[in-house]
Amino acid sequence: MGVAAISYDSVGALKNFADRQHIEYPLLSDPESKIIRAFDILNDTVKPGTFSYGIPYPGVYILDAQGKVEAKYFEDDYKDRVATADILARQFGTPVEAVRGVAETRHLQVTTAASNSLARPGLRIALSLDVELNPGMHVYAPGVQGYIPIDWQLEDGGPAAKKHAFSYPASEMLHLDAIGETVPVYRGHIRLRREITFAQEGALKPLAAPDGQLMVKGTFRYQACDDRKCYVPEQVPLEWHFQYEGLDRQRAPAELQRKPD
Amino acid sequence: MTKSKRLLLGALFLAFLYGQRIKTGPEVGRQVPDFSAKDQEGREQNLSSLMGPKGAMLVFFRSADW
Repeated sequence: MGVAAISYDSVGALKNFADRQHIEYPLLSDPESKIIRAFDILNDTVKPGTFSYGIPYPGVYILDAQGKVEAKYFEDDYKDRVATADILARQFGTPVEAVRGVAETRHLQVTTAASNSLARPGLRIALSLDVELNPGMHVYAPGVQGYIPIDWQLEDGGPAAKKHAFSYPASEMLHLDAIGETVPVYRGHIRLRREITFAQEGALKPLAAPDGQLMVKGTFRYQACDDRKCYVPEQVPLEWHFQYEGLDRQRAPAELQRKPD
Repeated sequence: MTKSKRLLLGALFLAFLYGQRIKTGPEVGRQVPDFSAKDQEGREQNLSSLMGPKGAMLVFFRSADW
């Protein structure tokens, strides 16, 4: 799939940026915001005459081979961005998993992964939790009565400033002969996915270790039963590891910088 | 009324008050306008030149400089 980015920067400023960031895909120069206006995404809250007049509302379009919009991703707050790795994962189904961790209990195995290995301020990414239950085991789905359902929590006050709403997958109804009840359960493999938005630089940077390592912590709670007995509920500690990357504050040389009209 | 209904009405009221919404351009299912522009190497690019066999990802961003 082709990739390109468009901004109102001059060719010179884009070349400077591309060289510095080692970007090989095309960066298109739209200094009069003609393309931005044609797409009707000009940010009209910016005053004409200021240097930022002409910027778009930032976002991403996924187009099919005919140029038709298949999906688009725009955030209300320009400081939040959806990770392109996650967009690709959503579009094509194959998760681009950059980070993996595994934890094992007597009843199941839990694998943590994330769509990105870099934590950037304001970046929205996906966290995944894959649960592989041991043969014969089942766990309970949210909404069950009388048993502890699975519960995926993320810590407060960590790198994840926004924890977006997510839903648990569909469960199956299982009839338990021993008690004569039918209950909503999961068996075999459970795939959980949720999104977080990293905090802005001021809050995120202090959380990084000197080597740049950042961790998002959480827990996975469950109660496992087999066809004969139920086991004590467990709470598995979870970790997702990232490398902090700050905002690129470097400017183009003065002669390439945009001046207001 | 339930708490969630109250919150929803409150949010809708605030959205009405503040009015200002971001613009997101062509709707899903619509054709994007064709365009032509120079890239960082001075090459002329348009929708067809950027297309891959599976389509394209087009990113609009504010600035590469600030």
